[in-house]
Amino acid sequence: MTASTSSVAAVATRPTNRRGWRARLILWRVPLSILALCLLPWVLPSMALATNVLIYGLLAVGYNLLFGYTGLLSFGHAAFFGAGAYVTGIAIAQFGASWYAALALGVVAGGLLAFVIGILSIRTRGIYFSMVTLALSQLVYYTALQAASWTGGENGLRGFTVGQLDLFGWTVDFLDPVTKYYVLMVFAAAALWFVSRILNSPFGAVIEAIRENETRARACGYHVERSKLIAFTLSGLICALAGTLLALHLAIVPLDILHYQTSGMIVMMTLLGGAGSFFGPFVGALAFLLMEDVVSLWTSHWQIVVGTVFILFVLFLPKGIWGTALAWEARR
Amino acid sequence: MKSRTGIPSASRRDVLAGFATGTAVIAMPWVARAQAETIRIGFPTPLTGPFAAEAKDQVKSAELAVKLVNDRGGVAGRKVELLVRDDKLNAGEAATRTLELIEKDKVHAIVGALSSAVQLAVNEVTRARGVIYVSISQSDTINEVKDFSRFTFHEALNPHMTTAAVAKQTFKPGTKVAYLVADYAYGHEMLRGFKRAQAALGAVSVGEILHPFGAADYSTFMPRLRSMRPDILCICNFGRDQANAIKQAVDFGMNRQAQIVVPVLLNNQRLAIGAEAFEGVIGGANYYWRLEETIPSAKAFNDAFKAANGGAYPTDYGAYGFTGVSALLLAMEKAGGPDTDKVIAALEALTYDVAKGPQHYRKCDHQSVQSVLVLKSKKKADMKNEADLFEILAIEPGSEAALRSCTELGFPA
Repeated sequence: MTASTSSVAAVATRPTNRRGWRARLILWRVPLSILALCLLPWVLPSMALATNVLIYGLLAVGYNLLFGYTGLLSFGHAAFFGAGAYVTGIAIAQFGASWYAALALGVVAGGLLAFVIGILSIRTRGIYFSMVTLALSQLVYYTALQAASWTGGENGLRGFTVGQLDLFGWTVDFLDPVTKYYVLMVFAAAALWFVSRILNSPFGAVIEAIRENETRARACGYHVERSKLIAFTLSGLICALAGTLLALHLAIVPLDILHYQTSGMIVMMTLLGGAGSFFGPFVGALAFLLMEDVVSLWTSHWQIVVGTVFILFVLFLPKGIWGTALAWEARR
Repeated sequence: MKSRTGIPSASRRDVLAGFATGTAVIAMPWVARAQAETIRIGFPTPLTGPFAAEAKDQVKSAELAVKLVNDRGGVAGRKVELLVRDDKLNAGEAATRTLELIEKDKVHAIVGALSSAVQLAVNEVTRARGVIYVSISQSDTINEVKDFSRFTFHEALNPHMTTAAVAKQTFKPGTKVAYLVADYAYGHEMLRGFKRAQAALGAVSVGEILHPFGAADYSTFMPRLRSMRPDILCICNFGRDQANAIKQAVDFGMNRQAQIVVPVLLNNQRLAIGAEAFEGVIGGANYYWRLEETIPSAKAFNDAFKAANGGAYPTDYGAYGFTGVSALLLAMEKAGGPDTDKVIAALEALTYDVAKGPQHYRKCDHQSVQSVLVLKSKKKADMKNEADLFEILAIEPGSEAALRSCTELGFPA
């Protein structure tokens, strides 16, 4: 269904002029995405909101790798997001690690957790897969709640504010919102390039094949379970990176980050923007957070507005904002 | 461009003078605004979520405090503006909103929050950026040296002083106490406070049961609590949890067997559930409107609040919004403006009486030293009007001796 928006193979069947346009868009999708992210802070009402869009957009991109491209609906991605954030925070607060070491540790820890949860959950499929990932992520939530001496428990993890970053002898003020945004954006941009590279690789074609028809992919000789596990782990890695960036941005790790509502929010953002499209998750995160930010200034019943918009999208525009825009452009 | 001759008589000097005047006229409002720039105070509070009722009272009272100051001509001639933001009872959201208030709205100070986790998040953000924060939510953690910020002042009571005052009125030597505790920071801190007071007063604990935050059903806990045969059932939870737990305890007849005691007797929950279930329940409070019978500042606060809100009485958590914002504005007035260091010095030196008698901030941890009220919920027949919910059993006067000592909190002696 969404293959036309992502894979080069599907584009080859289009008329020449459209093909040229779409092929160029796909070829340039990483630079174009980065350009959009560069401009983002100057069009949004605040830098804090822009940084959140960046982080949650990256989170949704990571999730989209699994949900949009591999076709697995996970309800447990808050665990990897939270693991990245907590490990980064703990590394700085308890062990005095430098920010880049803490960041690397957070990503690796989130990836490992994704690998373990992946092994346990990809044996199941459909609704059972969603339930198993949800249950396992709730285990992570309660672990963080109980291990209060490490995580701060209910009060959240605090005491690791990074005021200045030293970038190989060059010190920048990390409390300055503009500097902070662009430093974090470098990591998001690298992750975007990484995801794009995965999707363009033969492995990218395999996971899309699994999404389209698992039995046929198996019949073609692909190791479906292993491919799913790799996709799950890679997705967890990207989400963990988003978590480490959030920890650096907010300088706290709230316990709510591991709550199943966060997992639900990731699904909502991805669906809203367009599952299975490269830039869609960013659009979804932008739309969701912007609605929340603007509408909650205006009424305390903002959830009704956001919920209604979400329902309308699921009913009438199941491809999401970006997915629909791409499909509309292709039909023209 | 309608005539080719243009304006023949305009010399270069005239043009320059004209430009200069024009620039000055355009710049005027900026210059004027820079002189009388409004003082902006950020107010993050959970307008959505389970504590929304308390949060709305906080906003109303904080707005009243700002209005009263503006009616008097503002702070050092500058108007004050309150920027209310919904923190959704979520620490991450609160941190984002606080960043927004500081970076985009350029607020001069922050007041607010209504949960331990949220206020600690706001505290972390303001501490790193050197912005004054007046916290109006109960917490023991924020007093401790690890989370101390010289920019943060804790206006609310803390669990230690609340439980000490309530226990002093209810616990006797040999009293058997059973605890039903919400399993999160608030419940744990209240339990710790009560157990400390219990040891000092010679009461004994006959058991404690933890319940999950936001539980709706307490029926499975009640037979266990009954079998402990306590003299006092101490229910340590907040918001709707308190209402649900008390209602079900009364359904099980626990109020006939034991005195029900809560750390904080919540005005809004008593209103929501009604006089029957709450009858005879004893708990602490920072404020109750009937203080007006003995304290003139309470009378003034009540009258102003009623005038602004169609005759409604201020509530306990609402009063925090009023006292917190008022103390900050008083200090800004003393400091002659919002300059951070001067305002901190003014707050540390301030003794204020805005609603409940004299208060001041302790030097070492910036905890507001203030009276604690111990209230008992009235029978319906004894209520003189709709808002006459409680009788005041005791007013524990504010004293630094009622707080944990500075050295215990980890501050250098």
